[in-house]
Amino acid sequence: MSDLASIDYTVDELMAVCVARQVQDGDMLVHGLATPLVAAGYMLAFRTHAPNVTFASAVGQGVVQDWAPLSITRTEEYWLGKAMANASFVVTVADVLHSFAPKEFFRPAQLDPYGNSNNIAIGKDYARPRLRLPGAGGIPDVSVFSEKMYMYVPRHSRAVFVPQLDWLSGMGHHPARKRGSGPRYLVSDLGQFDWANGSMRVVSCHADVPLRRIQAKTGFELEIAPDLGETPLPSAEEIRLLREEIDPLGVRRLETLAGTARRTLLREILARERSL
Amino acid sequence: MSASTIVPLRDVRLSMTEAVALVEPGHTLGLGGTLLYRRPVAFVYELLRQAAPPADLTLLSFTAGYASDLLVGAGNISRIQTCYFGLEVFGLAPMFTHRVNRGEVQVIEETEASLALGIRATLSGVGFIPSQAWIGTDMFQLRPDVRTVVDPYSGEELVAFPPVTCDVAVIHALVADRRGNARLNKNLGIDPELAAISRQTIITAEEVVETLTEDVHIPAVLVSGVVHAPRGAWPTSCYPHYPIDGEEVLRYIDACASEQFAEYVCQVAACAQ
Repeated sequence: MSDLASIDYTVDELMAVCVARQVQDGDMLVHGLATPLVAAGYMLAFRTHAPNVTFASAVGQGVVQDWAPLSITRTEEYWLGKAMANASFVVTVADVLHSFAPKEFFRPAQLDPYGNSNNIAIGKDYARPRLRLPGAGGIPDVSVFSEKMYMYVPRHSRAVFVPQLDWLSGMGHHPARKRGSGPRYLVSDLGQFDWANGSMRVVSCHADVPLRRIQAKTGFELEIAPDLGETPLPSAEEIRLLREEIDPLGVRRLETLAGTARRTLLREILARERSL
Repeated sequence: MSASTIVPLRDVRLSMTEAVALVEPGHTLGLGGTLLYRRPVAFVYELLRQAAPPADLTLLSFTAGYASDLLVGAGNISRIQTCYFGLEVFGLAPMFTHRVNRGEVQVIEETEASLALGIRATLSGVGFIPSQAWIGTDMFQLRPDVRTVVDPYSGEELVAFPPVTCDVAVIHALVADRRGNARLNKNLGIDPELAAISRQTIITAEEVVETLTEDVHIPAVLVSGVVHAPRGAWPTSCYPHYPIDGEEVLRYIDACASEQFAEYVCQVAACAQ
């Protein structure tokens, strides 16, 4: 009766589905910068079980209660065209962010066992880092009070999951915390995780990913949930929605790629987008 | 006849060359727009076309992208004040990454709150605005100039964000009038406040009209000059007139990757050579 076993899906689709399943109907959800995998998951949630979510975006600082297919060059048609209200970034940050208490998925460049994160630079020499990162945006502001921090890591590796951060720009389950909570949840291309005991814990492994592989690609000892299982598979309808309606251009896949492969995919998407 | 009928209406229209001459060495230059949206790119091209563009600038940009990367790559920027410097889904900003990795420019590490509240401090004429942000993070090591205060009511330690100031702000508008009133789109960024904290604000505009009478985001009283710059945000977007030119952004990234930054700039800015 079920064709679950035969569903063909890719890991970016599985991660988008995992994001969608963390969304509850009625949530206020922030879209960060350059996070199309999360956007795909949010839109999927809107189209399946959460029609009453409100989206807020770093693009246009607007609130939207509608969905649109993912795009690269035309995101403003959605964020400005469908926004019910917009504000300047100063007003958004200073006046409304606290009261909205949104849920947001962050992508850390480095993450330690306690869910503290770094998006500043790789390397301890701040004046001459090994790799300067774009910057922490609003993470040092929001992470100290948020109750609803979620994380995603499209390429699980020891470069991301480190025992010690070079710089702490996002506060996790940290002794200095006065309000809010460290991250609740993380999905990577290998599994799902939480911080039920304050230290990162594997909750489920994606299909065909052995636990020892996850541990080998993590730079610290993971806790293991007593009921560790396999990540539930996407449904045929979830995959259909992602591929045919929410993200037919495949923008979400950019997050799983780097270097030349990424630039090649970007060119393909741009060519398809221009012909729309 | 009353005197008012013979006083001409203010006209602050400038050529782009006149506008870029307002930027002096050592200035803080604020760029309007966000990310790859509504950036004053034509102004940056004109600045880079100058035989001797002003040096030792501090770049102030809420989020910095393509236009900022050109300035950093050209070597005019000594300090960068931003909370995010990248090309969004297109990836890292190549010249920013290159120069910071080599220690050639200083980053004044900001966040959304430090910029927003630092702007509020300037607007309010006070020395700081307190916030719960940053406490417990390493941000204070990266910004040793930023101090904390004790909340006089609760006793809680709070960050005291210092004022953010700007010498010359450049903001690209959909339309402006000759007196300086400007209309943006809904993707405001920090532009209305940036105009208010800057000693001088230059508007580059897709269209310049006689008089704007409604939907003005930046009033003329804040504006020193208006420059007519059709497609002046390209290859960043100017919604609803044109979207991001993604191919051009990729062409820039590829040029930097093959060490053709100078050639790229000369081409887009049409240098005299």
